[in-house]
Amino acid sequence: MEQTHPALHYVQIDEKRCTGCVLCMKACPVKAIRVRDRGVAEIVGACIDCGECIRVCPHGAVKAITTGSDPSKLSRYTIISASPVLYAQFDEEVMPNEVLLALRKVFRYIYDQAYIHELYNVAVELHLKENRGKEGAVRPLISPVCPVVNRLIRYRFPSLLKNIIPIMTPREIAARELKKRLYCEKVFDTSEFGVYHITPCSAKMGSINYPMFLDSSYLDGALGINEVYELISKNLRDLEEDVILHRSSGVGIGWGVSGGEIAGLEDGNFLAVSGLSETIRYLEKIEMGLFENIEYFEFRACLEGCIGGPLTVADRYQAKRTVARFVRMFGHEKRLKYAQAEKAYHDGWFFNEGRKIPLAATNRKLSLSDALARQKKIEEVFRKLPGKECGLCGSPDCRTFAEDVADGQVGMERCVLLNREKTK
Amino acid sequence: MPNLTKRYPIKARDYLKAGEVSIQIQGLLKIIGFAPDFIRRVSLCAYEAEMNVVMHGGDGELTLEVDTDRVDLDVRDAGPGIEDIGLALQEGYSTASEEAREMGFGAGMGLPNIQKNSDSLDIISEKGKGTEVKIGFIA
Ligand SMILES: Nc1ncnc2c1ncn2[C@@H]1O[C@H](COP(=O)(O)OP(=O)(O)OP(=O)(O)O)[C@@H](O)[C@H]1O
Ligand code: SF4
Ligand code: SF4
Ligand SMILES: [Mg+2]
Repeated sequence: MEQTHPALHYVQIDEKRCTGCVLCMKACPVKAIRVRDRGVAEIVGACIDCGECIRVCPHGAVKAITTGSDPSKLSRYTIISASPVLYAQFDEEVMPNEVLLALRKVFRYIYDQAYIHELYNVAVELHLKENRGKEGAVRPLISPVCPVVNRLIRYRFPSLLKNIIPIMTPREIAARELKKRLYCEKVFDTSEFGVYHITPCSAKMGSINYPMFLDSSYLDGALGINEVYELISKNLRDLEEDVILHRSSGVGIGWGVSGGEIAGLEDGNFLAVSGLSETIRYLEKIEMGLFENIEYFEFRACLEGCIGGPLTVADRYQAKRTVARFVRMFGHEKRLKYAQAEKAYHDGWFFNEGRKIPLAATNRKLSLSDALARQKKIEEVFRKLPGKECGLCGSPDCRTFAEDVADGQVGMERCVLLNREKTK
Repeated sequence: MPNLTKRYPIKARDYLKAGEVSIQIQGLLKIIGFAPDFIRRVSLCAYEAEMNVVMHGGDGELTLEVDTDRVDLDVRDAGPGIEDIGLALQEGYSTASEEAREMGFGAGMGLPNIQKNSDSLDIISEKGKGTEVKIGFIA
């Protein structure tokens, strides 16, 4: 199923806890929040599940919906594919393998997704190589890994949908392979097991339920790192088992930090950008045609990369230090057989058949002349406003308020400052 | 009568804000709903003209006029002016400062790029009296 309606999002505001302050509304990078007559913050626009509102809410009223929100939805046999960001949440002395072992005390089968990151790097290298010097090749290509960036592109930069590299994300490849393997080995009946992704990300659930480039996701759900953290900490205390579950080198683990993905690529003209405001700036310039010299962009909506994800527990800078330590420890050599990865690439292992570029998602389709008339009206309203950007009207800033007025959603009288002047 | 007119001030040598005006124009044209390639052409030319004011010109202003079938940009600045317009239009010609070159500008490709991506280009300039660059696009 494809997401075409902006109301489908997995970040939600608990109205009982919301005090109607304007912090989340002001922080939302796509201006999706309003505080209307009911006096509570509501997500009314095209939310991209970035989680900025989760970060700023002082009342804990904003939450990301995951499978963990309703654990009864977990399958009988739970297969876990963990983002390596998880490894960086604990004391520096705790090794990735110990984290995976602690998980194994609770879940049936544990997989180190970071290993797939290394394979994915090879696929991107090969794809970029094919693209070089090819007449009419799309440039720059964009990493498909961050679902917030994908949705941002879909809502605000649809002309760049074609720039998202047509390779499946590591989390989807991992889930597909796990399902194949467990099915072949007949470990248990497919209807009884589900593959779940442990994630720092408030947007993964949406990308699983409404994937952009797949008909349906290979993943069955997602658990926030914050939801399994205590469980793992507790189980770390008495680990007896000694099997090796951790397979990745420093390359795959390094992905948790901005720049980690392109660090796993051979030489080329790449750029890693993190944080939503910078990402938006770059997307705007790419749309102007200013970055055709860059081959590949690694965008991460979260500042510093996924270690800064809204569902993490550890501070992003401490986590960054831990990742750097693991990268040093496990090295810069990928732990895979290159020839095998190359063959897999040519066999189509990294691609999904029938991949379609999704349609642009816009909630408004006016004729050019109506849109122009609307814009004139917005300017007219805007000129009358005091320009203090206070947000007391319930719209995030004066310009957005002018848009809301022009669209007939609210009346001019909601501007508190104008009213005050009138009554003076 | 043009349908929508907007004016944007541009400050010379303000590298921090440089590019902001063209990004705003890009966003506006997108909301109105012009075709992506048209928006790319307009915003790219706006960007090059804006950068030229920031780098070579004096304080100035960009005027945007939008109609359903065309967009016009008028970029004026009260800077040193262009002595030889024919020369300035040549690919690779640049008088960019060391400072600008360090930031990756000064390839002498701005004006040629505008010429390539617009439907009309008119440069009016006199040494010492400033520059006016008029760029037209047919949607
Ligand atoms: N607004 C202006 N005021 C004064 N001189 C200008 C102005 N715009 C352009 N010029 C002159 O014309 C030359 C060519 O401009 P053009 O935009 O083609 O190249 P550039 O700005 O030097 O380099 P690039 O645009 O590739 O970064 C400039 O180097 C400058 O001497
Ligand atoms: S998740 Fe992001 S886009 Fe959605 S409402 Fe919150 S801040 Fe806005
Ligand atoms: S940077 Fe990572 S955690 Fe943050 S939104 Fe993107 S994928 Fe999710
Ligand atoms: Mg220039």
